[in-house]
Amino acid sequence: MKKAVFLFACIFTLISCEEEGELTGSLPPVAIDETATPLFEGSFEPTSGINATGKVKIYLENGAHRLDFEDLNVSNGPDLKVYLSTAAYPQQFVNLGNFNANNVYTIPQAVNVSDYSHVLIHCQQYNHLFAYAPLQPIQ
Amino acid sequence: MKRLFLLFVFMVLQSVAVFAQGCSDAGICSLDSYVHDNETFKNIITISPGYGVGDADVTYLTGALSYTRIVNPKWTLNGRVTYSQADGSFGTRGQFGDAFATAAYTFKQKELSRWIVNFGAKFPFTQSNLKINGFSLPMDYQASLGTFDALAGLNYVYASLSLSASVQYPVVNINKNSYIAEFSGTDDFNTTNLFERKPDALLKAEYNYNTGRFNVRPSALFIYHLGEDTYEDIFGNRQDIYGSEGLTVNGALELTYSADNRNSIELLAATPFVVREERPDGLTRGLVLTISYNYKF
Repeated sequence: MKKAVFLFACIFTLISCEEEGELTGSLPPVAIDETATPLFEGSFEPTSGINATGKVKIYLENGAHRLDFEDLNVSNGPDLKVYLSTAAYPQQFVNLGNFNANNVYTIPQAVNVSDYSHVLIHCQQYNHLFAYAPLQPIQ
Repeated sequence: MKRLFLLFVFMVLQSVAVFAQGCSDAGICSLDSYVHDNETFKNIITISPGYGVGDADVTYLTGALSYTRIVNPKWTLNGRVTYSQADGSFGTRGQFGDAFATAAYTFKQKELSRWIVNFGAKFPFTQSNLKINGFSLPMDYQASLGTFDALAGLNYVYASLSLSASVQYPVVNINKNSYIAEFSGTDDFNTTNLFERKPDALLKAEYNYNTGRFNVRPSALFIYHLGEDTYEDIFGNRQDIYGSEGLTVNGALELTYSADNRNSIELLAATPFVVREERPDGLTRGLVLTISYNYKF
């Protein structure tokens, strides 16, 4: 019986696996179209104990607002999200999804981008802000 | 006996084509209602590997390891650990799910009837936010609901008939699921970002039929999900998941074969008659095959 219990534990420890599927495969880097119009930009500031450098730009591309990072490096976190926010912390925000510095984020059509003053990198699972970038209009 | 066994196997195979909804986290559904009279052995180890088919294209390998201690004719204690590995379009993700600790108190028998009170708790091993390659996964791929639950039940046994009423109440929610359907590339699953789940109530009627080495227990389970589950949308607003409240009715059949006084094997088959419109908790199963091995010592 002891052998059976030990075998059971071993089997399920060994198969505690993580394997990507067709919906979770690595995405190729996406580039903003050269004809896109840059509307806003900002530089990231880290919060206490976090390293963050880099910039964010919001473009108008084929009628859609798209958010792109430039040379962004942020400390690793367990559940980092990209927020558009009305303050330098999560307040009346729009969650754009999981953070990936290589992603280009399409902002939902219902969102009026000019209502938002900051882009945040925020850990949702532990409710901890990692970095914020005040947005400035590009003249 | 062979005919009875073959009949059971046939019924299990028949259930393959039927879409079933499992109990809420297998908590209240499996509260101990057995009467442990005249037990020679006071300890029972149970190993329960299983296979399941869920919503969309998700399949499951599951397992549970359980220890039961019969303290005396009145008190029985149980501890159980569950494991679940989901496989589908999002990939494969496995993890230990929950630990259960329950106790049963059996009141003194009066003629053919007796009462049993059950209570306990469920402890999650995860915050229900397992990911693959950085992608958030729906609740169907999570090994646990991410809630600390209180379990309580009252069981009335009259001769071979058993009637139970139980509740499973999420006391503390640590669910940090971050699945948002519009970012996922499929609309097969509900958004369950920061999912909050409502309690369940269960009524169960079971008939216990003993014949030689076989014990057959057909039962009917009525599970009511007491309210609409909720999630946080991309604007940070909490939204109800309409259709997640409601009734599930299952018919179940359990067969236990005792090889000797120490070793027994148990098979379980269940079929739903009524299901909820929306089941964002990911507990839906189209097929469940579970074989439990019990060892007494």
